[in-house]
Amino acid sequence: MKFEPVLLARAGRERSQAIDTYLADGGYETLRKVLTGGWTPEAVTEEVKKSGLRGRGGAGFPTGVKWGFVPKDTRGKPVYLLCNADESEPGTFKDRLLMEEDPHQMIEGQIISAYAIKCRNSYVYIRGEFFHGARVVQRAIDEAYEKGFLGENILGSGFSHDITVHRGAGAYICGEETGLIESLEGKRGQPRVKPPFPAVVGVFGAPTIVNNVETLCCVTHVLKRGADWFAKIGRNEKNTGPKLYCLSGHVNRPGVYEAPMGLPMKELLFGDDYGRGMKDGRRVKAVIPGGASAPMLTAEEIEDCPLDFDGLVAKKSMLGSAAIVVMNEDTCIVDAARNLAKFFSHESCGQCTPCREGTPWLYRVLTRIETGEGRLEDIDLLEKISNQMANGMTICVFADAAIAPVLSSVGKFRDEYRHHVEHKKCLVDSRAVVEATV
Amino acid sequence: MSPAPPAPEGKTLTVVFDGRPVEVPPGINLIEAAKLAGIEIPHFCFHPRLSVVGQCRMCLVEIEGIPKIQAACTTPLKDGLVVKTTTEKVRQSRAANMEFLLINHPLDCPICDQAGECTLQDNAFGYGEQRSRYDERKRQYAGFDRTMIGPHVVADMTRCIQCTRCIRFCQEIAGTGELTFLDRGGRTLVWTHDGKPLANDWSACAADVCPVGALTTREFRFRRRVWDLKKTPSVCPGCNIGCNISIESRDGVVHRFLPRLNPAVNDYWLCDYGRFLSESLNARDVAKTTMREGGELKDAAVPVAIERIASEIRQTIEIEGPSALFFLGSAHLSNEENFLLRKLADHLGCTNLDVVVDKSRVRRMKSKTDWIEGDDFGANYAGAVDMGLSPRAGGHGLADVLEEGWTPQFVLVADAAFAAAADDPGKVARLRRSRFLAVAATTANALTRAADVVIPAASLAQKEGSFTNVQGRVQRFERAFLPPPPARAHWELLLMLAAALGWGDRNWTPSDIRALIRREVEGYGDVTEEELAGGGLMKKGLFVSTGAL
Repeated sequence: MKFEPVLLARAGRERSQAIDTYLADGGYETLRKVLTGGWTPEAVTEEVKKSGLRGRGGAGFPTGVKWGFVPKDTRGKPVYLLCNADESEPGTFKDRLLMEEDPHQMIEGQIISAYAIKCRNSYVYIRGEFFHGARVVQRAIDEAYEKGFLGENILGSGFSHDITVHRGAGAYICGEETGLIESLEGKRGQPRVKPPFPAVVGVFGAPTIVNNVETLCCVTHVLKRGADWFAKIGRNEKNTGPKLYCLSGHVNRPGVYEAPMGLPMKELLFGDDYGRGMKDGRRVKAVIPGGASAPMLTAEEIEDCPLDFDGLVAKKSMLGSAAIVVMNEDTCIVDAARNLAKFFSHESCGQCTPCREGTPWLYRVLTRIETGEGRLEDIDLLEKISNQMANGMTICVFADAAIAPVLSSVGKFRDEYRHHVEHKKCLVDSRAVVEATV
Repeated sequence: MSPAPPAPEGKTLTVVFDGRPVEVPPGINLIEAAKLAGIEIPHFCFHPRLSVVGQCRMCLVEIEGIPKIQAACTTPLKDGLVVKTTTEKVRQSRAANMEFLLINHPLDCPICDQAGECTLQDNAFGYGEQRSRYDERKRQYAGFDRTMIGPHVVADMTRCIQCTRCIRFCQEIAGTGELTFLDRGGRTLVWTHDGKPLANDWSACAADVCPVGALTTREFRFRRRVWDLKKTPSVCPGCNIGCNISIESRDGVVHRFLPRLNPAVNDYWLCDYGRFLSESLNARDVAKTTMREGGELKDAAVPVAIERIASEIRQTIEIEGPSALFFLGSAHLSNEENFLLRKLADHLGCTNLDVVVDKSRVRRMKSKTDWIEGDDFGANYAGAVDMGLSPRAGGHGLADVLEEGWTPQFVLVADAAFAAAADDPGKVARLRRSRFLAVAATTANALTRAADVVIPAASLAQKEGSFTNVQGRVQRFERAFLPPPPARAHWELLLMLAAALGWGDRNWTPSDIRALIRREVEGYGDVTEEELAGGGLMKKGLFVSTGAL
């Protein structure tokens, strides 16, 4: 049975961004049902809890449970909803598609979610580079205002809501929810100490819920077709719903694919509906299953690997933002790790000592190995530096993310590192030793 | 930056540190609570008066019930908290942080002014490993090293450990927010917004809170190794707020002032104006006693000069009576000295007494709880008034001399720097109309040039005494070193003169005089030793947190 796309049902159609086509497809009917059909905010939250929807941004935290953390008594403070559209995890490009192709789906979900947490004003924090996306979303918001889906007293329900689009200024760490909050407040984007958690003290000191674009889109469908319908999609009751997978790397057909949660990794890479196999018939060497911060998997490990939150935890990796980056046998693992280390060294916010000092150190050692100046003890050193950066050593989990590609590649491809050091060149023939760039 | 963790309210809490239960007051930080228990938790970014950011990660400890290691400074204090500071995990995390902090630090301690009072040195010694495994090039900040970022502060970003104390000081205490983080990751640096100068009234405090040598003051740079300096508790001579300072001196030279921690007055802070008065204590133009004889200035010994003054006083009383005497005290003199001057006047029956201050701009200082405003130039104006230095019934004051045309026959100016009038030739001429003019002084001005007798007197660093500040606090200052002979403390000169005129006891010390003040001056009977002692000594950057304060 072929899976009928849910989130991408309208993507690619002509004028899918326009409100008239969205309305023609039954858009905003769910909002009308929720606001005027006797749904209480608590009932909406309950429905989302029942659906098993877990946050699509990376951490996979149950969305309904998160909403429940907003204090009952906010002491006169407003509650804010922030749509995290920063999509900064390397390899991820699903939120961009959702926003550029079907912005109203997200906006409808955002209004319903705002209703559930009794929020008057919400924000879309959109990645600064998504210039087009920001314009599309803003245009859609304007249309929603015109049709009365936003603003005062929506559909006569007494519920009022405003959405503001805020464009980021280009920092990976602003996708971390407290970093995003600081940035939205106009400050330097650096994560906050938790507790207090954003649901208690968030943006402007008020209770705040941060949800990913895809999560908000899912909310629309949970309310449209019911929690039971949503919960039935997926591998098990803990990993439910449709999921967008961002497939990139050495496959024949990279792209964004929608599939039920728990799609086998092999199916995504080789299935006819998905990646259609490896480019030029090469073999798989390694796969990053959840964006740059997820530990790499080897070709053996992806044999029986369901792509969902728990399936990847079982493989000691993570689904993250479901960005699957495939590397073939011609890839130099040291170079790949170095490339990722360069990214993390560039993006560390710099407030915590271990991350600020550790990420450039990792990058430099990796560069030395890659350029043939490494020593055997450097391989152990990489592990030692990594181990003293993470697990509570820093305020946020950026450092944990930064060491994931290093630790997993050293652990799983140690021979390649060793070869690099001993022969001053790559194990794979196609690559020569690159010039030192530091 | 995040707010501090919510302070628990109510009664004392029991926190278990390394198996030992300790009662701690609520509302303090875990690092301070540990201090009360006698346990040092190393840290860089935490400061008792600044918001808690948990950035340096040096204070990591284990908390029972939490699997991951936790920053002590951001862990809310609660009853029954079990803290472990000596586990292997804690030791390793401290060593790891020290390694990270030092990989890009220039380790230029031999030429760094912070050496000797540097938290990075201390923590490296206490918690770091002997060797670093870093074999790459160290980070440098070309263009951001050894640069003045304001009138007093010199920044050297290669030494910076990004603890943000200076940024938070400017934002939260000074309220001016000149400093900020620029760039990010390993390239993060502290600098001023748009290159505008760090020029608030307390800018050197940004250097004080710096735990390393990244921010130092232009005035103290390369002057002395700090371990050579002697710290003497004193009180700032700048204004009547009476900030507690330590005079840092060596071989009879004052090299800098540092604040002394007194939560009731200046807390951890000191304003730039007061701090950089330190150099003025080294000024001395009046090095010997001079006496005018037959229109000619001659050197004299101090006892001879004192005897000359005494005989002039006796002669004046004989001819014109005590109402022709005029004694001028000073807001720069101690309570003890002003008290002696007034008692001497009382003894002689002189009713013409005064003390004068120049009004200066309002100066502000943040105590632990409030802003204090000081406006009178003259650290001890309140004390001088308390000691009775104002015209007695029927007597005259300085205004009568300068404006009303009253001319005393004998004038004794106990401190030649009493006010701007002392360097105003027109006004000095009015005082000079008297038959005899005697002054004690450290520096020369129009008054000393006009006087018949000039006796060199001690500077603030060269004597002890007490000042009364705008809040009415009586605070003692101690002597850092002896005045160069023949200069003597004002109180000593006054005792010599009093003895020559048949009053007092030459063997009295300032504490004997304080005992007299306690007995005789209203409101001074209940001054406590604690109030007199003022705040505790500190090092630059390395504030010894005392928890309960």
